[in-house]
Amino acid sequence: MGSVLKLKKDSSSETTDMALFVHRSDEALDSWNRERIVEALIRETCIDHDTARAISKEVEEIIMASGISTITAPLIRELVDAKLIERGLERARKMHTRLGVPLFDVDQMITHPNKENANVPHGPEATNLTLAESIKKEYALLNVFSREVGEAHMHGTIHLHDLGFIDRPYCSGQSLEYLKKFGLNLPNSLAMAKPAKHPEVLLAHMVKFGAALQSNFAGAIGWDAVNLFFAPYLVGMTDREMKQLAQMLIFEFSQQAVARGGQAIFTDINLYWEVPKHFADVPAIGPGGEYTGKTYAEYEKEAQRFVWQLFEVFKEGDGAGRPFFFPKPLVHITDKFFQTPGHLSFLNHICDVAAEKGNTYFVFDRGDTAKISECCRLSFKLERSDLEDAKEPWRMRYSAIQNVTLNLPRLSFMAKRDDTRLFDKIADIMELAVRAHLEKRSFIERLLSHEESGPLTLLNMDTDGTPYLRLNRSTYLIGMVGLNELTQYHTGEEMHESTEATRFGLKVIAHMKLLADHFSRRFGMRFVLEQTPAESTAHRFARLDLTYYPDEASQVVKGNPAQGEVYYTNSTLYNVSAPMNPIHRVKYEGRFHPLIEAGALTHIWLGEARPSAPSLANFVIKTFNRTKNDQIAFSPEFTCCNDCGKLDRGIHDRCTYCKSRNVDGITRITGYFTRISSWNKGKLGELKDRYRNHEYL
Amino acid sequence: MTLFTKRLCSACQEIKNSFDLEALGIKVEELGPDNPDALAHLAWHELVEDAQKNLPILVLNDSSAITDMLEIKNLLMRLSRKKK
Repeated sequence: MGSVLKLKKDSSSETTDMALFVHRSDEALDSWNRERIVEALIRETCIDHDTARAISKEVEEIIMASGISTITAPLIRELVDAKLIERGLERARKMHTRLGVPLFDVDQMITHPNKENANVPHGPEATNLTLAESIKKEYALLNVFSREVGEAHMHGTIHLHDLGFIDRPYCSGQSLEYLKKFGLNLPNSLAMAKPAKHPEVLLAHMVKFGAALQSNFAGAIGWDAVNLFFAPYLVGMTDREMKQLAQMLIFEFSQQAVARGGQAIFTDINLYWEVPKHFADVPAIGPGGEYTGKTYAEYEKEAQRFVWQLFEVFKEGDGAGRPFFFPKPLVHITDKFFQTPGHLSFLNHICDVAAEKGNTYFVFDRGDTAKISECCRLSFKLERSDLEDAKEPWRMRYSAIQNVTLNLPRLSFMAKRDDTRLFDKIADIMELAVRAHLEKRSFIERLLSHEESGPLTLLNMDTDGTPYLRLNRSTYLIGMVGLNELTQYHTGEEMHESTEATRFGLKVIAHMKLLADHFSRRFGMRFVLEQTPAESTAHRFARLDLTYYPDEASQVVKGNPAQGEVYYTNSTLYNVSAPMNPIHRVKYEGRFHPLIEAGALTHIWLGEARPSAPSLANFVIKTFNRTKNDQIAFSPEFTCCNDCGKLDRGIHDRCTYCKSRNVDGITRITGYFTRISSWNKGKLGELKDRYRNHEYL
Repeated sequence: MTLFTKRLCSACQEIKNSFDLEALGIKVEELGPDNPDALAHLAWHELVEDAQKNLPILVLNDSSAITDMLEIKNLLMRLSRKKK
């Protein structure tokens, strides 16, 4: 149906004689035909022919009587919908709904940047992405999720993440082994490539496959043990050649702002100094997809030299010395790490990068734990069956299908400081989150069932005998925002203020964990808790609660309400402004981490401080040995001059070098670095509040 | 002191049967799907991962923990003897 309908009216004519022209979407003009309304009603809503006909006549009369000279197709649809409502045909009205975007909103999107996701730049491709997302969000709420789930999202009791990407899973973790073994053979591609014979070609395959995966997943794309799996290709290379390859890898992923919607691919590379236990005896795949006759344990030196060079490049930064935003390097610290020669000097090296540029993420895998990490803090813990897959690492493909986050402060407002009511509310809302997951899974299954002719062909490809997306091994994430504010409202104290408040917070998360386990058993799906990055959700929940629960929310909301810079504390974190010793923060926040299976992180905000590498290394070792913390990151701040291009430490309102005020800040927003000018108001409020650990580090 | 146990754990049962824990001032926390308090308490002592591998765990008054069954038994025997 077209978008514009031109009406020519003869004052003496009957309505059926009106000369109307439809400007169709295929850019042709069509004459008015009331039967079109009838056909659409019957096709889309299944109402009976007589009712459809009666509605079409009534609508035609309204148009006739209005005296307007031009009418749009969306307006006709609205008039038809009004008639459906008059007849009490609510279900039919819903089915007949037109999804679209108001003119004003489109103008805003085209002319102003998207502030919901700091990883969406501003440009025509980004506008396309935002427009498509807005339609798909509406579609999801009307057609994928039940009314109850949709309303809970709209009211801000829960947040359904990435609704604009409803037709794809959330995120994906895999290894290079899939590409090394099978080459790059993408569905719908004009050409297939055999397994790479050279490291540069393997890198090219990795980048292209990353872009293809970005088109099939909403969020992050993680790669396991990247330095190790590259290693068989690196034998005989000089350090200089390895550094060149490291540069190519980092620049390729950091400059891929030409992919989906102009976004860089949210890429995580998992790195190891040692050869992880579960890969040590695995036969290595080398050039041409052939087994080399050696195990990965025998490539330790190449893997170490490569990871060293990767961090040399991270330390230098981009052409202007700025930190790379992507790929994010996640270094796993394990028991074996500390038994591997050279680990101390490597630890100093990556801590030097952490202090200088902030890139390094320290992921702690204590005991027998093994995991693939990605996104802002998400990780897939490898279970026994997964470790069995490690013998054929191309099988190690993990995905989370969706993330649903609970607005914890609101539950405390509803519970009115009554324990029983609070835990009851948490159980109810967890059940609703599970329902949202069941609905999303059902939708994805429907899309997958179309196989080669469907939209998710890439996820259906079964090069190794099983579909790329292993739905039965997927996880379903349940996140949380504002545990600190829940505790504050319910107990009268924030978590950093008393032992009792922290213990109460632990009880809430323990309750959620047991419920997730219960639902996992009941539905045979893996429901796991995750610390939601909540880049925009923490702001959205706070804003909505100030509207719906103004008295309660105003007591606990953080930020500056007068400026609209309001937010809730992210997930299970302590108040970001609390002046805590960082090792205490890491230890106390770490108490929550073993309950949050799908990933947790503690931030240490450095501000302008530039601690020494040995002091950070010492901090990392203490964190590994004395806490249960899952992952830490040190975040320095920078000012980047848009005029002279120079970079300075700290956030300033003018350039230290050329004094220009045309500057932008750079620091970590949630789990990645980005420019502060792209942040939403909630995150700007949080940035002002962050306690910088100058005196401790 | 707190002894963390769970149902269907023979070692936990053995300890409970062999000692008068209440008389020794030891509180028993049974981990299970309906007991968030016990799990939260375990998390407070940073013992969640230990408990996944091994139970029972005895947490002493200074917050240190004993995860070895033999050590737990020896300590409880010493305490029982003192009590008598």
